[in-house]
Amino acid sequence: MKILYLDTSSSFLYSGVVINNKLEASIKKEFGKTLSIYTLTEIKKMFSSIKMSLNDIDKIIVVNGPGSFTGIRIAITIAKTIAWSLRKKISTISSLDAMALSTTGYDYIIPYIDAKRDYGYFGVYDKNNNTILPNKYIPLSFLKNYIKEIKNYIVVTNDNIDISNKINYDPDILNIVNHYALKENINAHLVNPNYLKLTEAEENNDKRN
Amino acid sequence: MIKVKDTYILGIESSCDETSCAIVKNGVEEIATVILSQIDIHANYGGVVPEIASRHHVQNITIVIEQCLKKANMEMAMIDAIAVTYGPGLVGSLLIGIEAAKTLSYVYNKPLIPVHHIAGHIYANNLEKPMCFPLLALVISGGHTDLIYMDKHLSFKKLGSTLDDAVGECYDKIARVLDLPYPGGPSIDQMAKKGENIYALPIPMNDNSYNFSFSGLKSAVINLVNNEKKHGKEINKDNIACSFQETVIATINKKVRNALANYPVNYFIIAGGVAANQGIRNNLQFLCKEKKINYNFPKLKYCTDNATMIAAAGYFLFQDKRFGDLTLNSKSTINLD
Repeated sequence: MKILYLDTSSSFLYSGVVINNKLEASIKKEFGKTLSIYTLTEIKKMFSSIKMSLNDIDKIIVVNGPGSFTGIRIAITIAKTIAWSLRKKISTISSLDAMALSTTGYDYIIPYIDAKRDYGYFGVYDKNNNTILPNKYIPLSFLKNYIKEIKNYIVVTNDNIDISNKINYDPDILNIVNHYALKENINAHLVNPNYLKLTEAEENNDKRN
Repeated sequence: MIKVKDTYILGIESSCDETSCAIVKNGVEEIATVILSQIDIHANYGGVVPEIASRHHVQNITIVIEQCLKKANMEMAMIDAIAVTYGPGLVGSLLIGIEAAKTLSYVYNKPLIPVHHIAGHIYANNLEKPMCFPLLALVISGGHTDLIYMDKHLSFKKLGSTLDDAVGECYDKIARVLDLPYPGGPSIDQMAKKGENIYALPIPMNDNSYNFSFSGLKSAVINLVNNEKKHGKEINKDNIACSFQETVIATINKKVRNALANYPVNYFIIAGGVAANQGIRNNLQFLCKEKKINYNFPKLKYCTDNATMIAAAGYFLFQDKRFGDLTLNSKSTINLD
């Protein structure tokens, strides 16, 4: 099976092509606010480098969040448009799941994505990647208290937060793709972001009602 | 006789709160249009919330493209190029249409055509019958109030513009003061027909320039409403709507006259969401008849945001080979000329 992996949920573009359990090509580049400019050209370059076309792939695995709202939408829009137009299989995965799958050697793996104002998205996984606490939007203080109670843990984050035992996120694209290669496919029209957070306008409306 | 091949442009528009896809033949003939409007959603917030708009665009984008192709009974292989609005507008909203258009351009190896949103509104006037040059265009919408002179296709010379609020923005704010639902334009237009012009409001920028200003008029109406309330007087909303709309019409009429005096044209067109306003349409129709110039006012469905106009403008950019590439990005503000 030939799988395209795509993640623009942070300031990085992470993408790769996995063919029969081998990572044939990959991209790990920070673009910040220029992700919308370079994502497609980088994908095109990646496919040329392995002399493949988009039409050769069988399936797309796309990260649907949480993370940067605009960032998530870039990969989702590209992925659902490819899947719809070329009738490719597609499934989504959580950015936090991808982060956990890229980390080994700890009893507790805790991916954390900063969401500003001392809040973030996090999840807790055991060493076999089973979910201990599901993906959630939490105050940073919650994470700080949580790690006081556990041992042999690691926090995976690319954000500059003040916390002990943390490592940077470096995606293990092959492992992520292999883990989710057989995940159930969904209709391309229904591939949508999972923000884990309402917009401010909706939150304010909820408070008023 | 050699038959010239027809050109089909697929247009995508997502600059504000409408996700739309359309197919237009030869820049004139609408083949199919699909619009998913979010107007009811944003009405809950009294205006467009950018993040909510972006969230709906991403949900709707492939659906509108598929529905449009189905409606046209066409396949992507039959499309000559993909046109997309790249600005001005809400950055996050624009991005959804742009990323989808770029992906389609890449997947099907079709030219990508970046279209300025206001050029799109102007080219809504080319649907059904071709525009004649030189022409004067009045663009009136929630984000724009511009007078534009065109001596040929794709040549836009901005004569004047609003110095503060756009006319549509002013309508929305007045509507809010009068407790009318969003968007305010249609309600005010309706109420103005029932009311009388009894409040003497100042005609803004009453000079010989081609520029507009609406913030002073907006403040004058708000002060008027507040004063009437303070003195315990009952407010006749119809009369306020009428006085306000008549003042807007007076200023627009004056500026169009100024432009027509110095830029003799054969053809006058209007464009943008506020171009749907019946009071403004009637007044400008009268003016064109008085000046004996030909005119075109777009059908109401082409006044509000739609992809049909983007595909229509895209046709002329296609003829001119003004293509974009996969690095195309959204521009929240960008000049037309």
